[in-house]
Amino acid sequence: MEVLNLKKIGVRGVNLALHNMPADSEKNFEIRNPQGQHSIACGVNAPLSVEIKGHVGFYCGGMNKHAKIVISGHAGVGVGENMMSGYIHVKGDTSESAGATANGGFLVIEGNASSRCGISMKGVDIVVGGSVGHMSGFMAQSGNLVICGDAKDALGDSIYEANIFVRGKVSGLGADCIEKEVRPEHSAKISELLESSGINADAADFRRYGSARKLYNFNVDNVESY
Amino acid sequence: MATESAVTTAGSHPFATGADLCLVHNGSLSNHNIIRRNLEREGIRFQTENDTEVAGAYLTWKLRSGSTLRQALEDGIRELDGFYTFCIGTKDGFAVVRDPIACKHAVLAETDKWVAMATEFRAIANLPGAENAEIWEPEPSTIYIWGEE
Repeated sequence: MEVLNLKKIGVRGVNLALHNMPADSEKNFEIRNPQGQHSIACGVNAPLSVEIKGHVGFYCGGMNKHAKIVISGHAGVGVGENMMSGYIHVKGDTSESAGATANGGFLVIEGNASSRCGISMKGVDIVVGGSVGHMSGFMAQSGNLVICGDAKDALGDSIYEANIFVRGKVSGLGADCIEKEVRPEHSAKISELLESSGINADAADFRRYGSARKLYNFNVDNVESY
Repeated sequence: MATESAVTTAGSHPFATGADLCLVHNGSLSNHNIIRRNLEREGIRFQTENDTEVAGAYLTWKLRSGSTLRQALEDGIRELDGFYTFCIGTKDGFAVVRDPIACKHAVLAETDKWVAMATEFRAIANLPGAENAEIWEPEPSTIYIWGEE
């Protein structure tokens, strides 16, 4: 395990060390003194294991590929934005737009997420242990957003084919978002994601929300891919 | 979505609009012209064309008219249109409020000794005791006040 002291080497130093690793490296890193700096551990492209000890700023773990990133603190705006694969685990709360536009991978937030969690998500799976703010799942295209607490106003506004699962109270649904039947494959997916996240909840308590398909041009010929 | 006026020192924050009120604003107001005209009719004088000065002047006018800071901010949420995270200081109070859409970032931190507000946590990270502070993001349309109440 290698310790990277951000206070000493800065964000560029930290990210350079992570980027310099070979594509197949599974090395462990510990990042100390993150000081809320932005863009920590962005663009990692190897199956590294990175633990960040403290609170991080904006876009932490953005564009992540393959790496496992654990944040022992809160995360600022856009944690895991545009991640492609890998795993990001936030032990505290996150600010706005967590997992924005993420194509793949798995994002776990133990605490609460602020507004626009999973905005325009394109295939990522997100589990939030607490509640999410307003406009979460806005224009979400693909993937699963599992919310163990409540969801504020305009959940799933203009949603495409992502699934949103909520255990608690939903303050209001956004345009073209409706409650849908939870079929066995959905329950199985919720169980799988909860188990992987380490967050304790019963899949049977969740309701599913998705697109009414009235706002966008849904093509029945492509139904197999939805 | 940023504050509206010429980029000059006159338009730089914070704006002090009364002996005991200053305001910093992240965002922009869309109805500042009409509110400025209305306030001018009430005798409030302006030094710039800046939208933030209007928000500060609006609160100063409300406080002069007998409102508490909380009442003034509640009215402000209804009457000021636009994007904003406001940080307000008065003689004995400190307040933070965000508009209902809340897309201008904000973070609050509090310990037994101090409370701090910033757009980004990194501005707070180096304050003494920040590592043990309670940290949270202010909710939309919610008024946070310390001191004066």
